[in-house]
Amino acid sequence: MADTPQKFDPPNRLSKKVSKTSGPTPEKAILRALNAAEDLIDSYQGWAVDDLAKLWKAYEDHRAESGSAKELLTMFEIAHGIRGEGGSFGFHLISTIGDSLCKFLEGKKKLSAVGSEVIKVHILAMRAVFRQNLKGPQPSMDRELRKLLGLLRQRVG
Amino acid sequence: MSGYDFETLKVLVVDDSRPMRSLINSFLMGFGVRDTYEAADANEAFEAVKSVSPDIVITDWRMPPTDGLDLVKNIRMDLDSPNPYLPIIMLTGFTELHRVKQARDAGVTAFLAKPISAAALYRRLCTVIDDQRPFVRVGKFFGPDRRAKNRSDQYMGVERRRGV
Repeated sequence: MADTPQKFDPPNRLSKKVSKTSGPTPEKAILRALNAAEDLIDSYQGWAVDDLAKLWKAYEDHRAESGSAKELLTMFEIAHGIRGEGGSFGFHLISTIGDSLCKFLEGKKKLSAVGSEVIKVHILAMRAVFRQNLKGPQPSMDRELRKLLGLLRQRVG
Repeated sequence: MSGYDFETLKVLVVDDSRPMRSLINSFLMGFGVRDTYEAADANEAFEAVKSVSPDIVITDWRMPPTDGLDLVKNIRMDLDSPNPYLPIIMLTGFTELHRVKQARDAGVTAFLAKPISAAALYRRLCTVIDDQRPFVRVGKFFGPDRRAKNRSDQYMGVERRRGV
């Protein structure tokens, strides 16, 4: 027999704690937030270069060990971090490429030689984005990249 | 002055990525939040929940070797949890529908997809503050009511269906 749901109405303490009229307008608050994060956003490229170096090392280890599942998981973890961070720090194309790499790697236990090349293409594409300093949404390039990387993943499987 | 005043809020930010923690903290401080706390994994975060009693937790999902969903379950179900009703925003690069359902079934209050923006985080904070959903205990689940009905008061977009 199914459990009978019990309902609770917790007091909404936050609604009492936070005034909805005495703070800055949303536009002003968001602008302040962007200003507060400006220095961090400028530093992101340095952190990302470290992540890309780790990704490249995992890729080389994977090739050297003829395709270990451990390295594939490591690459997935790094790519997952990169896809979340890239766009958050203004590099939207990095998130697009990171997302494609995650889709390619998720659940994979081993890869063919051609599969390894797919990983290499993604890493080189990320490097190119940083080298060209391609910040911001870049909608037409984003569309093109999604299409090309999608086709690549589909062909290699 | 005609917006939310976040000055008195205490927010705990949980992410294994230091740059992401710093970015979210900067956004929060820009919004006016004065008390922010950080944790790098689910265990550290649960200790922080017990020691600082935050008003809101913003947590990443994947934080190897721990997991944001474990943190949510601890906050909702653990006998040591100081506030099982604590609002939790799950922040993650996983955006597939089955993942969203998994997060909801663990008891998260709101979901925010990475990459994030200051505007999206601001909107999500406001939603969580205004959220009046009751909590439900059924089977192994304890968390905000997962059913979306009777929530038309929270819809902020254009009412295209009105009059249909």
